[in-house]
Amino acid sequence: MNQFDGVPSPAPARTGDIAFDRRTQGLTGIVVKGFLLSLVTFSIYRFWYITNLRRYFWSRTVVAGSPAEYLGTGKELFLGFLVALAVLVPVYIVLFVVGLLSPILATLAAPISFIGLFVLGQYALFRGRRYRASRTRWRGIRLGQDGSGFAYAGLASLWWLGTILSLGLAFPFMRAALERYRIDHTLVGQSRMRSTATGRSILLPWMMFYIVALLPTLLSILALLAATGFDIPSDLLIQDPANEKSNLIFNPAYEDTPFASYGAAVVIAASVSIPLALLLIPYYRARETRAFFNAAHLGEARLTSSLKARRFYVPYLVYMLAVIGFILVLGIIFALLVPLIATDGQNPGIHAFVIASTVLLYLGAILGTNVLYVRIVTVRLWHAVAATTQIENLPALEAVLASTRAPASGLNEGLADALDVGGALEIGF
Amino acid sequence: MEAITTAGTFFDGISARPRPVTLRLTFRLEILGEDVTRDWSLLDLRATDAASPVMRISHAQGAESAEFTDAAFAEALKARCPDLGRAEREGGLTRLVLWSIAAGVSVLLTAIYGVPAASNLIAPLVPRAIEAQLGRSVETQIVSLLGDPPLCDENAARAVLDRLAARLAEGMALPERPQVSVRRHTVANALALPGGRVILLSDIIAKARTGDELAGILAHEFGHVAARDPMRSVITAGGTSFLLSLVLGDLTGSTVLVTIGQAAISAGYSRDAERAADAYAVTAVKRAGGDGAALAAILERITKADDEKPDAIAFLRSHPFTAERAARIRSLAGEKPAGSGILSEAEWQSVQGVCPKPAKPDDGKKAAPTEKL
Repeated sequence: MNQFDGVPSPAPARTGDIAFDRRTQGLTGIVVKGFLLSLVTFSIYRFWYITNLRRYFWSRTVVAGSPAEYLGTGKELFLGFLVALAVLVPVYIVLFVVGLLSPILATLAAPISFIGLFVLGQYALFRGRRYRASRTRWRGIRLGQDGSGFAYAGLASLWWLGTILSLGLAFPFMRAALERYRIDHTLVGQSRMRSTATGRSILLPWMMFYIVALLPTLLSILALLAATGFDIPSDLLIQDPANEKSNLIFNPAYEDTPFASYGAAVVIAASVSIPLALLLIPYYRARETRAFFNAAHLGEARLTSSLKARRFYVPYLVYMLAVIGFILVLGIIFALLVPLIATDGQNPGIHAFVIASTVLLYLGAILGTNVLYVRIVTVRLWHAVAATTQIENLPALEAVLASTRAPASGLNEGLADALDVGGALEIGF
Repeated sequence: MEAITTAGTFFDGISARPRPVTLRLTFRLEILGEDVTRDWSLLDLRATDAASPVMRISHAQGAESAEFTDAAFAEALKARCPDLGRAEREGGLTRLVLWSIAAGVSVLLTAIYGVPAASNLIAPLVPRAIEAQLGRSVETQIVSLLGDPPLCDENAARAVLDRLAARLAEGMALPERPQVSVRRHTVANALALPGGRVILLSDIIAKARTGDELAGILAHEFGHVAARDPMRSVITAGGTSFLLSLVLGDLTGSTVLVTIGQAAISAGYSRDAERAADAYAVTAVKRAGGDGAALAAILERITKADDEKPDAIAFLRSHPFTAERAARIRSLAGEKPAGSGILSEAEWQSVQGVCPKPAKPDDGKKAAPTEKL
């Protein structure tokens, strides 16, 4: 990897590469240690595990010859989590008690808490990004993020509402709007990044996804509606008369009407579309990442991405094959254990051995898939994005000056962890 | 000391501009460039993570750093700088692990011992109105857990059951008059819920041979109501599951563990409560003029049937071993009293018809649908 020859020549290159060392020495150790320690510490160690993972990925991502640096610590994340817990636990308890005690509010409690937690989740995502940005350093310059988490949560909520009302057509515009908000509030030192991401630039991949994956289901539902003149009889689904208080069933009175056939069409369309949708997600993700990277710039310097969708498929394919192989190995081990159970189930010693080895096998399976996932999917996706991205007009970055802004506190990410939104590593910005 | 030099890049921490420099390592590290001259003590150098050919060192104070790719230079630097790998933030891993284990164990102990103890104290303090409300919510949940069995409301049978309930409750220390409902279900079981709600599943009526046996089952549930066991177990289950899900992260399918833990804990708790409810049932049935030992007979019959055909919701019934219970019930009940038992033959016949066979779905098809939604 020539990019590593980090000494800039007297006439600096116009473009800078982003490289990621895919050999990933020592990564398995981090994952195994993180998993086992999380297990014995009631998963409190996960904050240190996440920190180790990030430090590993950041430091091996070499941007224009200089590796990035992650400055966060596990302790910060843990404290942030504790504070978020102190905020969320009373909220959860109130929701729980209200749900139990008041049947009228109980029916409302579920949607209200869903909406509330969704908005809070968006807020937490934005604040978590702020923490990560302020813990990232490159060439001695800290990144940062300003902007308001509440404004972002409001923006995201409104856009989601619009997306739902437009039956999903507004989705790419929402993605672009949120991307612009995120990037426009990202700072490298004192310099602000800018994004010119537009919904139009990802409209095509989205429409492809939409037409294949969502449209058949939507159309069949619309056809169902149209067949009734947009007047679905209120008794289409009835309570099963066989028992007094029961689930809804399809009213047998409508068995021979168009409802049955259109209803079947909805089911068939959904069963074809959903697997196709899963297959198309990497394609859309890749195209979106490329479009958004190409739209990001910092002053005169801008990113260019030549990411191909197949680079997003290969990791998942390899991962699937690896998991299948892994399951085969586990199956063989299990098959060796079976005779023991069959021959002498009464012997307490063998019984204990079988239980212990089953538990070990279970833990081993989870650990194995974790390692495979990080090593194959995360590493390859990260590498795919990094290796296909270049910085154009690199010398413009030299003008970036460090900021005197205080780095964001660890409290920013605690909420995201407590709400279980956002991951340890997010590919892309 | 032999001087080693290499080419590198210097960053001042103020600007992102890379400055080509020459690094010269003696007993100090000299950084020499066009407009940079630094002379760093080797004690102040810290290495920070970087991809392997690149080595990045920074000064312990200040934001200045230098990067280079010379492996031999890196080795020499490592050999000469004692504190190169010192990381202020690391350390105390063992302490962290031990403290987390201690914290986790303490929460677990609280969940296993503290929560039941606390619920013993809290349960009697819960206001009647709230308990009634809670009972309603729990009933909805349990009913849907059982697969929405229909309510059995055959009038004559209801009247007999209500009279039986009133006779059993009479003179016993009950916080409120229990509300008994019957639901059609193929599992022989009865449940007591907060707010004095008692659900009889129709199969237990079918399995009962005499009115006394049914009375024994009913009185046993009243015994739970009298002890406020349902309230207590709701508080315990809620508290434990909350604590356990707090402790266990989301790394290893913890929801399963939470459920198992809860079931195990509440089973340990119920055994004493079951014995108390048995004793209560014997007293109540005897007072009402029935045979207290009849409960033992029906318990044994149900258990035998269950052994043949284990059902999915057996976890709802966490009763101690039946033989032991039956023996205890018989010794408490003593001699079988004279007389026909708690219910007359006609009453017993009528109770058995509480769950008439359902009308065929087709019959109600035209009439039922619209108004039910």
